[in-house]
Amino acid sequence: MSRKTMTRRRLIRICVTLAFALAAFPAPAEYADVVLNKRSEKEGVRPVVFSHWFHRIRFRCKVCHFELGFKMRAGANDVLMADIIDGKFCGMCHNNNIAWGADRCDLCHSGRPGLKSGIYGGHQTLGPGRW
Amino acid sequence: MRSRITLYITLGALTGSAVSLHAQDRGGTGKAVYEKSCALCHAAGIAGAPKLGDAGEWSARLRAGIATLYRSAVAGTPNGMPAKGGNLSLSGAEVRAAVDYMVRSAGGAPKSSAVPGGKRATASARGAAKPAAGNPAQIGAAPASKPARETPTPTVVAAAPSGTPAQAAIDPNAFNRLLAPPGGRNPPPAEDGIHDPGNPGIHALQPPLESFQRLPRANAGNRVNWVAALGKKQIQPRWDLGDPQAEPSAMDLNIVREVKGSMPDVVYPHRQHTEWLDCSNCHPAIFVPQKGANQISMAAILLGQKCGVCHGKVAFPVSECRLCHSRKKDAPASSTAAVPAAEARK
Repeated sequence: MSRKTMTRRRLIRICVTLAFALAAFPAPAEYADVVLNKRSEKEGVRPVVFSHWFHRIRFRCKVCHFELGFKMRAGANDVLMADIIDGKFCGMCHNNNIAWGADRCDLCHSGRPGLKSGIYGGHQTLGPGRW
Repeated sequence: MRSRITLYITLGALTGSAVSLHAQDRGGTGKAVYEKSCALCHAAGIAGAPKLGDAGEWSARLRAGIATLYRSAVAGTPNGMPAKGGNLSLSGAEVRAAVDYMVRSAGGAPKSSAVPGGKRATASARGAAKPAAGNPAQIGAAPASKPARETPTPTVVAAAPSGTPAQAAIDPNAFNRLLAPPGGRNPPPAEDGIHDPGNPGIHALQPPLESFQRLPRANAGNRVNWVAALGKKQIQPRWDLGDPQAEPSAMDLNIVREVKGSMPDVVYPHRQHTEWLDCSNCHPAIFVPQKGANQISMAAILLGQKCGVCHGKVAFPVSECRLCHSRKKDAPASSTAAVPAAEARK
């Protein structure tokens, strides 16, 4: 076995161990909470925390993932503030009509600084959903 | 209350030597235990552990009271704190002594008033091993929370009044003593680790438990049985963004997938899924709508493909095997229509 494969195997082993370590210490966040921080902190605001539990009490999955066009993969959606103000994505409801409007920055941009984007709350499956 | 505290400070001063001896002894135990079992994580702040001497992190954890902190240390928390710091040979009193040591080192003082039934618990701050500098409140709520006057021998075990939750959690014969306490689940936004506690906006957000306590419970995920909540009309999520009256046209078709090995076969109920989702959410990108065209394995699901696109992230997680693997192998073929899982989850 070449040295390169050895190193690669060791790397994979470390990754797997790390994955298990992460799984053993789930974030205390609510299951299926999503942190969006692709742009937030670069633009000088806190990351966005999206709570699936709160929204699924009020809307079926289909409303956002079909009507609003959110792809079912964390990280696959490019949501810009300009779009929201234009009434797309979150802005379909967050318009001071159905839900609070885009002027209430700190209600959505409520995450801890430095958080990475992705799904929080003790998810058990990996894949694209983990960014 | 204040006069009572003053009284006990005076009493503490009167019994000065005994108390200081006791407090030093206690501080010594705490330090030793800390160095042996806690420092591995708490020195560097590994896995989210509050660092020794970090006043900000410790004061945030002290807000719920020292009894809660003791309980978390003894029983562990889902946030990563292992029960007794992973050293199960420690006694509850030793763990509490280590907690006291770390709290003191952060300049905090265990709030003795937060200990249920511990109104009398107070001692001399002057006698503490490491009095915190610049914290006048500490005199009132002293670190060594112990009714010194009433215990003739300075044993550490008597530190918490018997009958406190901390005491109950460390009962060696307690049922499920290593499981995370249910009180730690569904924390409010300020304590969930992803919301910024310094953001005033989060106090306007609804705490999950406020909503969940009215809904049927489940064992995993949000610990809410969403399908049952919808079935019993305890929640009325809109099917259409603009039309609150719109109803989904649920499709009642069960797909049975026979599985290898001894696991019960999988029954996939379209009905529960179509009450939440549009056909195009799954077909054809995730599942080809054709019999036998989809290779599904638990490995793929764990990697976040197929069912794992939702299950394990937002729908009930894969630890709930029997919710999918719900049809016994020896069941007659005609039972395809009668779906145990579908009925149970209704």
